[in-house]
Amino acid sequence: MASGTVTTTGRRRSVEGKPKFAVAFTALFMFVLYVPIVVVVLFSFNSKKSLSVFGGFSTRWYQDFFNDEGLLSSLRASLFISTVTMLCSIVLGTMLALALERVTSRPARITGTVALIPLVTPEIVTGVAALLFFTGLGMKLSLTTVIIAEITFSISYVAVIVRGRLSSMSDEVEEAARDLGCTPFQALRLVVLPTILPALIAAGLLIFALVFDDFILAFFTTGIDPQPLSVRIYSEIRMTISPAINAVGTCMLLVSVLLISLSLVVPRLLGRKDSSLDLISGG
Amino acid sequence: MTDQISAPTGASDVTSQTPAIELIGLTKKFGDTTVVDHLSLEIRRGEFFSLLGPSGCGKTTTLRMIAGFSDATEGRILLGGQDVTSVQPHKRNVNTVFQSYALFDHLDVEGNVGFGLKRKGLDKSEISRRVNDMLELVDLGGRKSAKPRELSGGQKQRVALARALVNRPEVLLLDEPLAALDLKLRHRMQVELKEIQREVGITFVFVTHDQDEALTLSDRIAIMNNGVIEQCGTPEDVYERPKTVFAAGFIGTSNLMTGTYSAGAVTVAPGVRVELPGHPELIDGSTASIAIRPEKIWIADFEPDMVRVHGTVAATVYHGATTQYLVNISPEIQLTVVEQNLVRSRHDDRWSDGDSVEIGWKPEHVVVIG
Repeated sequence: MASGTVTTTGRRRSVEGKPKFAVAFTALFMFVLYVPIVVVVLFSFNSKKSLSVFGGFSTRWYQDFFNDEGLLSSLRASLFISTVTMLCSIVLGTMLALALERVTSRPARITGTVALIPLVTPEIVTGVAALLFFTGLGMKLSLTTVIIAEITFSISYVAVIVRGRLSSMSDEVEEAARDLGCTPFQALRLVVLPTILPALIAAGLLIFALVFDDFILAFFTTGIDPQPLSVRIYSEIRMTISPAINAVGTCMLLVSVLLISLSLVVPRLLGRKDSSLDLISGG
Repeated sequence: MTDQISAPTGASDVTSQTPAIELIGLTKKFGDTTVVDHLSLEIRRGEFFSLLGPSGCGKTTTLRMIAGFSDATEGRILLGGQDVTSVQPHKRNVNTVFQSYALFDHLDVEGNVGFGLKRKGLDKSEISRRVNDMLELVDLGGRKSAKPRELSGGQKQRVALARALVNRPEVLLLDEPLAALDLKLRHRMQVELKEIQREVGITFVFVTHDQDEALTLSDRIAIMNNGVIEQCGTPEDVYERPKTVFAAGFIGTSNLMTGTYSAGAVTVAPGVRVELPGHPELIDGSTASIAIRPEKIWIADFEPDMVRVHGTVAATVYHGATTQYLVNISPEIQLTVVEQNLVRSRHDDRWSDGDSVEIGWKPEHVVVIG
């Protein structure tokens, strides 16, 4: 038999050799990254109005938040934008991914690359461009314009995530469905979509979280009333600094963390190895 | 199995004489490249038929056209006498076992195997009965609720086979189904595949590049090269009586010699005349190619009417059950000779490199290739 010795590749570097400065640097990095967030969460429970002195535990700012009709209507607006964007971009992004997986011609491949440009375009450029586009068309800025802008931005995310899953699925899987009696549409509905479902869920949750707390695109494309929550917080904080904003921020943080966690956990619960994180970091 | 397999259009006049598959001038071009070139072929009912050839010879494209995944550029495809050339894959009464197995990840074994029957709208108890029977047949009765990712390569292969066979297609198409398995498992699956085919009596069309696999399994083999069929026949036909140089070279090892025929012998090299008795059809002065299998050549202990040639042993290779000698009969021509190691051991090789030997063969073992 030709079976030789098994060699270990990709061996991890030994922990003992870890330089001290790397530990210190990592600690500093985590400190700068998370302390401001921890402060926001902490002060959202402050009983005083101060943003620098902690006067004891209270939930008064949460009560303020939930009694503030303006903030609540912004919250509803943000939830509405996120939900509609998520649904539309999943459908459109999946269609794009399916099309790009199938075509091999040069123009089609170029289109595929162009479709991913929003991922690297500075968001402020996308925002200004969208604003000029809407005003040029004479459209009144409203939640609709925000949604349109967010969808165009989100499609590329969905396409990337769904393509990752599609490329790991053999073309023969769809042929097998056709072979076993499916029309092309049935093959899509009964085999292709269920196979890529974990990627669809992951993409959906990720898009929801990204859009829910997106500020730049929303800022440029929103109308006056109601404004998305992120824009609303920005304009509030410029006029009066109310600790209620800390409560709002904490709530948004909670929603984002929850959704991102779900987008990582749900595909694993469904038993697939790929999750959005693997797909983004692993290509 | 006693259930009748009916043609998709309900043609009741189809007799057992009608071929299961008839390909008429089938051609496939991708741009300027002709992958399958005016291929005509009849595959009989209940036959285990192999399309054998090197990669790129057009065998898989032919299979894909029969399944309906690839459109024919020219020509016609008849299934059980019905023209299906432009019929969509889901309406053809054939099923395919794919090279990658192509199992549905989101369904368990039972869901995978029952998929086709569910599409046909059979009722649940019938589906469950047939799926169970089929899983018993492929020895997977206990793994009904396993997901594809929990199965080994051999088990996935069986699920793919069961998923196709359970529909009782007129023809089962198999695209190198054993290629991904390791050698030992592949041999076991070959035996099982043959047994299953005998049991269900369905026509199998098997695509492979593995000559041993084709010889072991097939009732008939078509050897393909460059989009055309070089030779079609039983394993014995194609092995013992190759009709083309390609066929002789592709299946097994062949000693090929070409030269000018005159007076009952072929001059294969200057001064080397190989006797070729019993071929009155050859004209003096014509060119003849002859092929002899290595195991048909003897070294010493000849029988009376054998053709003999002098040579020098160039190399000896010990293979356990056999020993292979490379014998030069001229500076350019080296013949491969394989001898069974019946009683001898490694240490009493009768010949070693450089020995002058006489080799010989029976005239009837020589194949003249036109």
